[in-house]
Amino acid sequence: MRFDVYSPLALSLLLAAAGPLTGRYVAPAVAARVLAAAAVVTAGATTWTLVLLGAALLGDVPPLVRGAGEGGAAADPVPAVIGLAACLTLVVIGVRLRRAVRAERRTRRALRQLCAGQPVDTELVVAASAVPRACAIPGRPGRILVTSAMLGALGPAERRVLLAHERAHLAHRHDVLVTAAALAAAADPLLCPVRSTVAYLVERWADERAAAAVGDRRTTAHALARAALTAQRGGAVCALHFADHAVTRRIAALQAAPQPSLGSAALAVLALSTLPPLLAADATRDLFRLLTGAPL
Amino acid sequence: MAGTGSRGRAERRSAGELESEVLAALWATDRPLTPAEIQAEIGGGLAYNTVHTILKRLYDKGLVLRDADGRRGAYRPAKNAAEVTAEAMHQALDRGPDPIAALQQFVTGLSSEEERALRELLAEGDA
Repeated sequence: MRFDVYSPLALSLLLAAAGPLTGRYVAPAVAARVLAAAAVVTAGATTWTLVLLGAALLGDVPPLVRGAGEGGAAADPVPAVIGLAACLTLVVIGVRLRRAVRAERRTRRALRQLCAGQPVDTELVVAASAVPRACAIPGRPGRILVTSAMLGALGPAERRVLLAHERAHLAHRHDVLVTAAALAAAADPLLCPVRSTVAYLVERWADERAAAAVGDRRTTAHALARAALTAQRGGAVCALHFADHAVTRRIAALQAAPQPSLGSAALAVLALSTLPPLLAADATRDLFRLLTGAPL
Repeated sequence: MAGTGSRGRAERRSAGELESEVLAALWATDRPLTPAEIQAEIGGGLAYNTVHTILKRLYDKGLVLRDADGRRGAYRPAKNAAEVTAEAMHQALDRGPDPIAALQQFVTGLSSEEERALRELLAEGDA
């Protein structure tokens, strides 16, 4: 238990480091799915590990739990300080998760309101606005919101790229992956880099789908460039937390050859993500024995 | 994964997707468009009749209007719903955390250096 119980933490660090690399060398459709799944599994195991550390505190109360069997001979492998720290961390995680879920709900509600005046069975929702924006609104059915300013700035082929890109977000349920990664990062802040990688990868994935739909990577790159420049001119209300070089990196990726699927790299990340729950399970067994007084 | 090449492109667009494209084309310009102009704009070997059918459907939903004072047979986008949406969007922006920024956005901010690079890329393409 001594080592197992801490290793999910170390493994989330490893995943945080491996995430961006996977994103660079593996096709985005594979990498996004694998990383989101790995993040959720790792966050779950890390949280469970903290529960174990907290529960080990019970082991410090011999008469209540441990029974007379062993007479407290077994050394408690978890110092009380760590147990307490784990309990505090769990509270923090609870607060963070709650906040993340609320933010998610608020966003969805606000987005649903945007479609309020529109006919139900129409994919494209146009906003008559001078602010150039475009985004996919998940739901049943999913919608594509584009402002008139953005539509006016793009040529016919570029508009097709834009629609195909947003359609890919909806068809492949990218909102689920992004939300999953966001919740994982809320529960395990070590996974924050994985969250941003997943957010970037779903954009790349949609870019690749758009390029396939339009049949031309160059047009797709141009559409992205034009849309980015237009958004910039329009005041870019949204530029605040996107200081990374996402758009230019996406355009560069479209100008290069598509990445291979690299099943082996994806498998390696998946294998990495199965370790935390295995170790957590092992630690659970140890704790159980400790609490029931069975020999370790 | 993106290797479908220029062949299997636009032919297999569903009715819903074509509706979006026609609507987008009408919104992209300030003047009303005739079905023939829309057909030319959208391309992909779309039949004139199909364009007509789509316009009819958009008209029935109240999303496009027949141009009354301009050329006969021309269409322009209806503003009502789009203005309601725009107002809701601006309200959401004023209220605080931007709901769209929280979602997958088509594009995000640029540095001035990146801006220059993108302009060059587009200039190359147009040359």
